[in-house]
Amino acid sequence: MNKQTRVWLVLSIALSLLALGNACSKETTNKNGGTTETAAGPYSGPTGAIAGVISFSGTPPAPRKIDTSADPVCGQKSPNLMTDDTVVTDGKLANVFVYIKDGTAEGGKKVGDYTWAVPTSAVVLDQNGCHYKPHVLGIQVNQKLSVTNSDQTTHNIHPTPALNKEWNQTQAVGAAPIEQTFTRPETLIPVKCNQHPWMKAYIGVMKHPFYAVSAENGTFEIKNVPAGKYTVVAWKEGGAKGTEKTMEVTVPANGSGKADFTFEGGAATTSISPSLQMMPALELPSMAGKH
Amino acid sequence: MPTADCRFQIGNRQLAIGNSMNRGLNRFAILVACATFFLIIAGALVTSNDAGLATSDWPLSNGQFLPPMVGNLFWEHGHRMVATTVGILTIALAVYIRVKEKREWVWKLALFALIAVIAQGLLGALTVKLLLPLAVSAAHATLAQLFFCTTVSLAVFTSRSWIEARPVSEVEGVLPLRYLCTAALLTIFVQLILGATLRHSAGWDKQLPVELIVAHIIGAVAVTLALGSAALATLRRHKGVTFLTRPAVIALSLLVVQLVLGVTAYLTRLRSPNDPQPLNPMISITVAHVACGALVFVTTIVLTLRTYRVSKELKVTRWKSSQSIYAHQQ
Repeated sequence: MNKQTRVWLVLSIALSLLALGNACSKETTNKNGGTTETAAGPYSGPTGAIAGVISFSGTPPAPRKIDTSADPVCGQKSPNLMTDDTVVTDGKLANVFVYIKDGTAEGGKKVGDYTWAVPTSAVVLDQNGCHYKPHVLGIQVNQKLSVTNSDQTTHNIHPTPALNKEWNQTQAVGAAPIEQTFTRPETLIPVKCNQHPWMKAYIGVMKHPFYAVSAENGTFEIKNVPAGKYTVVAWKEGGAKGTEKTMEVTVPANGSGKADFTFEGGAATTSISPSLQMMPALELPSMAGKH
Repeated sequence: MPTADCRFQIGNRQLAIGNSMNRGLNRFAILVACATFFLIIAGALVTSNDAGLATSDWPLSNGQFLPPMVGNLFWEHGHRMVATTVGILTIALAVYIRVKEKREWVWKLALFALIAVIAQGLLGALTVKLLLPLAVSAAHATLAQLFFCTTVSLAVFTSRSWIEARPVSEVEGVLPLRYLCTAALLTIFVQLILGATLRHSAGWDKQLPVELIVAHIIGAVAVTLALGSAALATLRRHKGVTFLTRPAVIALSLLVVQLVLGVTAYLTRLRSPNDPQPLNPMISITVAHVACGALVFVTTIVLTLRTYRVSKELKVTRWKSSQSIYAHQQ
């Protein structure tokens, strides 16, 4: 073996080992603080709700046509598929994920310190017409996610989380639902199908059950929220990490805290600092006489 | 059919120039090199279409040897089929060389090509099983270029022009051409690694990292300077020696095309995150940029090998002359 051959051989082996080493040492640090804090047990105090409307000001971006011709099944079932990253109806915005990011319940403890029961029912993500339904969804940590395939073509489901374990599973026609769980809170996990690259969904994984997704008329409601004061976030997809708007909301016992958010056209590509997003129409209902 | 006579035989050492050309072997080596180039294009199409994980299986796709070629599986499984063909061709080339080629080092290079194509297949498996980690994907793309370089080298070493090459005189007092070409080659290789890392650092729906873009632009400037110097020095010093000037002219021309493709690839890639799916012209231009980069690399390899070849001829000629003088003195 001459010198040149040896150099190339050593170089390729070194590159392969380097690549393997790096791949095997992928970090999975929990930036949300992990699950090591002491739980305060289940919450048993007074509760209320958070409700609001998500509006869109300005001219929304026009939905773009998706070319589904690469797979005849998709082309037949969804010949006029359009993007649904910004769905605006009469100025109201759908598919916005609203959740409690932080805050203190009446008992004086953080909402994340309580133990919240994990629902036994699975959250369903269906692939129908080469399209994820729903487009945005929430799920609790360790709650089952059931992915179904209603299409006569093979899909592959590929969430790309930053904190949870990444997976990529093929789902053939008529295959049983794929069931998975996420073990760490994370907002939001993009889901894609590498078979049909236009297919996208987003999953918000929460430690608690206080989240909702805005409907087509822009409304949402988060029920059974412990009375207290919270930082509520509204997240809309777009750009690398989506756009967030934040609001402080007080939830009275047996009452409802209002959280109306407005997203502006053309602001979907950068994340806005929470300090700049306080809504002027912020309404903090008085807690007096509502216990 | 042998087409060149043995001109130098020194002791028991068989020199490259003492070998005869096998036209069939050379044509087959060229075929393998062309197939490898096609494989690089197929691989680039996988990346540009975001099809690398269109199936979670390897080596089968969705448990099938011949799955329905729809959606992105067309690109991913198509790439695997082309890769399998290239693997078989490489085995055949190694066997062909073992049987027909007298130069031991050519056989060893063919063996290296065989090891490289197997390693490349395993890296491809790792990209699927480890869900496209950047380091593995970049290594897969880089090894592809090294493998292409090896198959092209085999085509060069078995060619008539290589075997019949005549020595040329270097201008004294200046940096030897072979050093200039080697510097250009190494610069291009580093640039290829940077390009592969940049390309795999973000999918079509995300913006590329700025620091890698800047590094790749700096690399482009370095390649332009290094390759430009080597090619122009070749044209200036060896005017009329087509053995050297032809690859120099081709490399320079490809470099110009590559720079234009680089700018347009960047512009189309900037827009792609706003698209609902990977679309043309982003796909075709980024693939063309990868393919042209591979051609710049291998053309520079041909130029570099040839400069070493004629330099080696010169040394041998001098050594032979001194031997003759020594014999006369005896």
